[in-house]
Amino acid sequence: MKKRGISIRYKILLLLTSLPLITLTVYLVLALKIFEDDKIAYVFDSSSSMSGTMAAQIKTQLNAVLGTTKPIFQDYLTQQKFTSVSDSIFMNEFNLESIAVFTPSQSGSYERGATLEKVPDQTASVLASLSAQMPTYFAEVEATRRVVKVPFSDDRVFIFEKVTDETKTRNTVFLVIVRMSEAAEMFRAAMSQKMYLISQDGTVLFGPDGMPGKKLQDTVAPSFLKGTSKQVAQGAETDKATDGTELLVSFSRAGFGDLIVVTTVEKEKALGAVQILIRKSLIFFGILISVTVILSLFASSGLTQALTQLFNATKKVAEGDFNIRVNVASNDEVGSLADNFNIMAAEVSRLLDQTAEKARMESELQTAKTVQETLFPETRAKIGPLAIAGYYEPASECGGDWWHYCQIGNKIFLWIGDATGHGAPAALITSAAKSASTIIERLNISPAKALELLNRSIYDVSKGRIMMTFFLASFDLETGELIYCNASHEAPFLIKKGEGALKKKDLVPLNEVNNPRLGQARDSVYQQTSIQVDEGDAVFFYTDGIPDIQNPGKEAWGEREFIKALIAANKDYPGVNDAVDRFVTSFQGHRQGATLVDDVTFFVVKRESLH
Amino acid sequence: MGKLDVKLNKTPEKLTVQMAGTIDEDVDFSQFNLAGHQMIEVELSGLKSINSCGIREWIKWMGTAGAAKIAFNNCPKVIVDQINMVDGFLPATAKVNSFYVPYYNDDSGSEKNVLFRYGTEFTEGGVTPPASVKDEEGNEMEMDVIESKYFKFLKK
Repeated sequence: MKKRGISIRYKILLLLTSLPLITLTVYLVLALKIFEDDKIAYVFDSSSSMSGTMAAQIKTQLNAVLGTTKPIFQDYLTQQKFTSVSDSIFMNEFNLESIAVFTPSQSGSYERGATLEKVPDQTASVLASLSAQMPTYFAEVEATRRVVKVPFSDDRVFIFEKVTDETKTRNTVFLVIVRMSEAAEMFRAAMSQKMYLISQDGTVLFGPDGMPGKKLQDTVAPSFLKGTSKQVAQGAETDKATDGTELLVSFSRAGFGDLIVVTTVEKEKALGAVQILIRKSLIFFGILISVTVILSLFASSGLTQALTQLFNATKKVAEGDFNIRVNVASNDEVGSLADNFNIMAAEVSRLLDQTAEKARMESELQTAKTVQETLFPETRAKIGPLAIAGYYEPASECGGDWWHYCQIGNKIFLWIGDATGHGAPAALITSAAKSASTIIERLNISPAKALELLNRSIYDVSKGRIMMTFFLASFDLETGELIYCNASHEAPFLIKKGEGALKKKDLVPLNEVNNPRLGQARDSVYQQTSIQVDEGDAVFFYTDGIPDIQNPGKEAWGEREFIKALIAANKDYPGVNDAVDRFVTSFQGHRQGATLVDDVTFFVVKRESLH
Repeated sequence: MGKLDVKLNKTPEKLTVQMAGTIDEDVDFSQFNLAGHQMIEVELSGLKSINSCGIREWIKWMGTAGAAKIAFNNCPKVIVDQINMVDGFLPATAKVNSFYVPYYNDDSGSEKNVLFRYGTEFTEGGVTPPASVKDEEGNEMEMDVIESKYFKFLKK
């Protein structure tokens, strides 16, 4: 038997679990991708919105500062000094720390002129600490007219505003130092995302603690600071931070100097919901797979239990036990398979019993055949002047034909009969006929009387269900007289020896008397008649199976060919052995090994000389 | 249709039975009642064969006709053979009106069945065969039976 592979139970289990697993995994991957894209878009949208709002707010606040200081600038440009009006305005603005005026000197460098300040000499001290950066600031303000700086990493904003007179020959730079505590606090305190106010070179003006004064590029280097997106007012992009963290970066230009509001969000934090979704999905997956496994185990165990039963049953059958049956309660295909298996096993069991019974019957038939063979005489004999040769071949194991000869006194009794049908039932009747004949032979009676007794015997045995045609003759060894009677049997042919070759007209049917078949009625009476058999004459006795002999093409030999063969076999009046052999050769030539449809029996007797 | 086809046609004067096919152990004649008729005509030209078991059934069936006069018409050779061989196959009240006699020509292999009719080709006294029987090619044909055996029933 072939080695068993993976159990079908585990295959079903694998199939039922892998299917939802694969399907849900694909679904999750696709859903996560869409969700992630959507989430990123949402974060970009919200952070862009926030940076835009913040940029607008910064712009508004700075414009408000300039709006407040504009009259002061105008006052100074008109009076070349700060009047009391300017001073009054300045003092009323709490956020303003200082306003200083710078005008170009002869050498071209800017020199401080008038100053408004809340704390005396504070401005000088601040500017002294910035003396190194101031030329750069002035160069920038020369180029861009307005520069915003937060040089001390606190909430003081330095606004450099260049004002040119009407002739455009004299420039005046106003430095406004203003405290923007609320704005600085907003940038510092942003929680979900980091927010920076930077200048174009990336210097952080406001931002989370530790960042003001540093370059944004130290943390992340967005493309809009590389000069390529200079003209773009607002945008968003994904960048990798210097520590490798992926950041979602949005920016909005404030429209005030080169100020830019930048927000950054760690992508991982932004997509935290995705991670939650993944976690929950994995938990859901786990539950689903567990449920699937449990259900699959139940489903597959029901199926495999039935299949296992069938498997074990087929093993038993392979070992020769056909009495095994399986008990499967299901009504599905497996149930039908089990039912069919039971039917098949029962049928095989029945066929085996039948085969055994058939073998037993064949054995019995073989025994019956052996027994029946004892009913027949020697096929070749010579009793006095009478030579006898016969042939018998049943259509099956046992036949319904019977022939016999025996000597009673100086007479030879010649018996031939054919029971209705053939096979075992007919053979039993021939057996009865033989038994009866054995007793009749001792009675020394005429053929007609013998046939009457034989008829009673056959009738009593068969009760009219099976009959027998019969021809009985007695040959007188001294006179050659043949007395015969017939119970509806095929009339034998007397073959009279003539001068020339035997002809059809020389065949004399012995049909002068005929009476009912044996077994047809209990009290049938049989007539007899006699003919003279001279030396050289022969008599051919036969049963009706001879003309019925078929070839493999189911073509019967027929009476014409039978008569022809009979004439040919006896044309030169041969001995009985030759006559029989020739006749057998003839019909075997037609038969060509085909199965007989009826028993074939014939014998020839010939009166020869005693010498 | 079974192996034997039997058609009965009843008139006040007679019962006509038309038979075709094979008579064997499977035949059931009980469905064809022959009793209660004065005259029965049996048309037999369609019969192909009869075996020993069929003969038993035939004799029993014919026995149910009682004293009715039975006429056999167009008997084929298989029936004539049984009439000759089996005592009782032709009931005592029956007679043969016509029967076929097979002819053949050994050289050409041609065969023909010639109908012998009562009063023309045969009577109770004997047979008067046609002077000459020829096949379609004009070859002389001879009787394909042993006359003393085949016409034996006419002497009964």
